[in-house]
Amino acid sequence: MHRAHVSKIGMTALVPPELIFACAGEPFDVNNIIPASKNYPKNKLCAWTAIWREMLVKREIKIDSLIVVAGGDCHNALVDGQKAAMSGIPTHFFFYPFDGDVQYLESQLHKLSSFLGNIEYPEKFRDVKALKKLGRKIDNKRLNGKISSSEAFRILVSFSDLMGDLDRFRNALDIKEGNIALNNRVALIGVPPIYHDFHEAAQSLDLQIVFDELPYEFVRHSGDDINEVALDYCNYTFARSLDFRIEFLQKELEKRKVEGVIHYTQFACHHVLEDEILRAKLDYPMLTIQGDLPGKTPQQIKLRLEAFREVLERS
Amino acid sequence: MPSKAGRRFMIGLDVGSTTAKIVRIVDGEIEYQITGTHNWKELVKGVKKEDIISTGYFRHSVPHRASVTEITAAQFGVKHYFPEAEVIVDIGGQDTKVIDVKSNNFIINDRCSAGTGAFLEFVANYFKLELNEIGTLHFQAKRIPDINNTCGVFAISEMISQLVAGYSKEEVIAGMHYAFARRISFMIPETETIVLIGGTVKNEGMVSALRDILKKDILMPPEPQIVNALGALKYYS
Ligand code: SF4
Repeated sequence: MHRAHVSKIGMTALVPPELIFACAGEPFDVNNIIPASKNYPKNKLCAWTAIWREMLVKREIKIDSLIVVAGGDCHNALVDGQKAAMSGIPTHFFFYPFDGDVQYLESQLHKLSSFLGNIEYPEKFRDVKALKKLGRKIDNKRLNGKISSSEAFRILVSFSDLMGDLDRFRNALDIKEGNIALNNRVALIGVPPIYHDFHEAAQSLDLQIVFDELPYEFVRHSGDDINEVALDYCNYTFARSLDFRIEFLQKELEKRKVEGVIHYTQFACHHVLEDEILRAKLDYPMLTIQGDLPGKTPQQIKLRLEAFREVLERS
Repeated sequence: MPSKAGRRFMIGLDVGSTTAKIVRIVDGEIEYQITGTHNWKELVKGVKKEDIISTGYFRHSVPHRASVTEITAAQFGVKHYFPEAEVIVDIGGQDTKVIDVKSNNFIINDRCSAGTGAFLEFVANYFKLELNEIGTLHFQAKRIPDINNTCGVFAISEMISQLVAGYSKEEVIAGMHYAFARRISFMIPETETIVLIGGTVKNEGMVSALRDILKKDILMPPEPQIVNALGALKYYS
């Protein structure tokens, strides 16, 4: 059974891509094109949402419908998502439960499934699950210095939509291994940096990022059907309380033997407010940086990274 | 400069956004020179690359044997004068850095001129005065107008309004020093003593305003502008 037209489904943050594939859709994470974008949007708070909003409204991103993550993400996305909806794009608002309520999430997934035209290919759940297992292997190889941090990041971050095509994505996972010296092992927490060469910049300053908090969430959750997906995705840390997220981070940072933590924050993002709590609760040297518009990593950020490496080398 | 009477010395070279400084230690004495950034080459005439430890914004672009960020250099330089320093505030022409030595943490303001030397430069330029002159005029103020704006540009218009309202030049200058010091104070963590370094801290009026606002012990090395160049040298050795 083949459809004449596969719908391209835009998403503003993590939405289980397995469900979109199962409903015969092609997921497209609208954030993936932001770091390389040269768009300077009007009326902006966070550049991530402002840029995709502007591009959606001007139809510079071609999608058939949009899923806005409204609960468990941010209000900037919620407002900019509504602007995109008002411009005529069929839009669905998806809510994660703050308290991890599985039944609530399951009902949200059923609503989403009806919006997408219901499940047509249930086997896609398992296909995506198998790919995510490979994703976790890649993450592990980076942890052991077999794959560079920039390469691992590029792959992990594209697990939000698996490039909209499982076969093409499977081929892209085939990467050459090497031997990378893991001096100055650091974790990168917070939302991903808006700069397209951030991991390369850190690497060139001899900081090895061995953990990418949000992209790791993209490979951590899966399930063979809606119920299993609900059971697993209800632990998506960014949608839960700070205590829940910090407890997860503490274990992960210890397991990965990191020496320091880089907290990336985005200008005008509510996550900026979390910095002092993360500093108080995570017992590592921490560098906080803030980005605004996309592009190359600016000199001022590089200065901070270099100074942070000097801090790690002295401690 | 390094081969004095045929002797070779290592030098610390700090090339920042407005000034360049070099330091060398000759028989235990610190010798230094300061010039404009555009003249940095004159400081290293005849000096071999292998003898230079660089720091500052242009640390990678000038010849060097090793380089170190201003943040680390500041800590090494300050340690020479105040081994127990807890917090260092480096107020430069284009940015201000607050280094919490105890917790190994630093904050940099380089997004906005309000908390950097550029802000006081605006004030000095407005009155066609030198930076050190506004520092001295501060002490002639009889009252201090409230200047609440922390944005450099808006603070200037507020300053003009205060002049129109009848405050003297000296008084609005003092008001601006307080506005500046308040802005800096937001960046400073809990501590008993603070070490000030950087070219801008030679402005005595500003330092007095900062002392008044923070109510902490404020320490300053004899030449606050050369501390990072000295620190680069110390870092290497
Ligand atoms: S960076 Fe912050 S404000 Fe921007 S989209 Fe992400 S969560 Fe929302």
